[in-house]
Amino acid sequence: MKNSHKRILMILLRMGLGIVFVYASFWKIRNPEAFAGSVAAYDVLPFFLNHLVAATFPWIEATCGILLITGYRVKAAAGIVAALNIIFIVLLASTVVRGLDIDCGCFRQGGAKTPAWQVILRDFIFLAMAVSIFNYQRGAMFSRK
Amino acid sequence: MLCAIATRTTKSVWSRNRNPATFKASSRRTYHGNMSKTTQLKKVFLEMGIIILIAISIGLAVNHRMLLDILNGTKSAPIPSPTFSSAENSQIAPAGLLQVRELYEKDLALFVDARETPAFDAAHIRKAVSLPVSEFERKQPEFRKKHDLSTRLVVYCSGYGCHDSRLLSEKLYNTGYHDILVFEGGLPEWKEAGLPVEGTNK
Repeated sequence: MKNSHKRILMILLRMGLGIVFVYASFWKIRNPEAFAGSVAAYDVLPFFLNHLVAATFPWIEATCGILLITGYRVKAAAGIVAALNIIFIVLLASTVVRGLDIDCGCFRQGGAKTPAWQVILRDFIFLAMAVSIFNYQRGAMFSRK
Repeated sequence: MLCAIATRTTKSVWSRNRNPATFKASSRRTYHGNMSKTTQLKKVFLEMGIIILIAISIGLAVNHRMLLDILNGTKSAPIPSPTFSSAENSQIAPAGLLQVRELYEKDLALFVDARETPAFDAAHIRKAVSLPVSEFERKQPEFRKKHDLSTRLVVYCSGYGCHDSRLLSEKLYNTGYHDILVFEGGLPEWKEAGLPVEGTNK
């Protein structure tokens, strides 16, 4: 692929991923208590920690989303997003293994339920996007003359 | 000492590329300068840490009231119940843990589990019956035969993130059950309260 094409592709990728994350954080920031309920449904943390996660986590999503969109500190933001998606995938897989039948609470809280495997697939796509953005940024650092 | 080093590195990381005009030039210099790959990676990890810290601080600042309420115990168990919008469902009422618990202990209601069968088999409220939303049409006649229309029902699923209990209660309402409560805290809240659960994986 020509370099310029690749560059445009990467800009589109990071914009897309950024918008998804800002959108996802929007619903959680608007209603942290409902999101705490979604976190509680995963049944991994005690009551207070669910709320602590609900209070802080959406802001990490929002910050990374905004950084990805604006193009500032993209590599770091992409790294965080990749790590987050790995956590999502592990958590979702654990709900499948434990036989929990819950909604992921990814976007709008308390909406219709999305099957876990579909969410896992979606998160793998986001993970791939984040990893390629992360790698591209390094590529630019080291291989461009 | 460690702290001082961290602050110094932080400062240099953030100040180096702050000005967009010098960003390109300076980044090119760094990328092709003598900075090793690991140093670069370390820088990125440091940036990641700073970003996360900033985000967490914002989150704590914005939501400190909610968290303090919980720490002081002034906030009761979670989350206000979302209201039912359509008027025809006015007989379907959301119910909290205390109310549901009383009904359970006095045996005044039939508990209906709206989740899928494997989830029900793994763990459910003791004595609850399974009626997955996805199999409602198939299982409904049998359910109807066993339980009189005047039975009071408490419908639950996997808690606040879960929509199934509401869907199921609407379906049950339409088949003629008119005394329905939706326990929105669902199984997670029930378990957390240490109330009786049965199944293969309690």
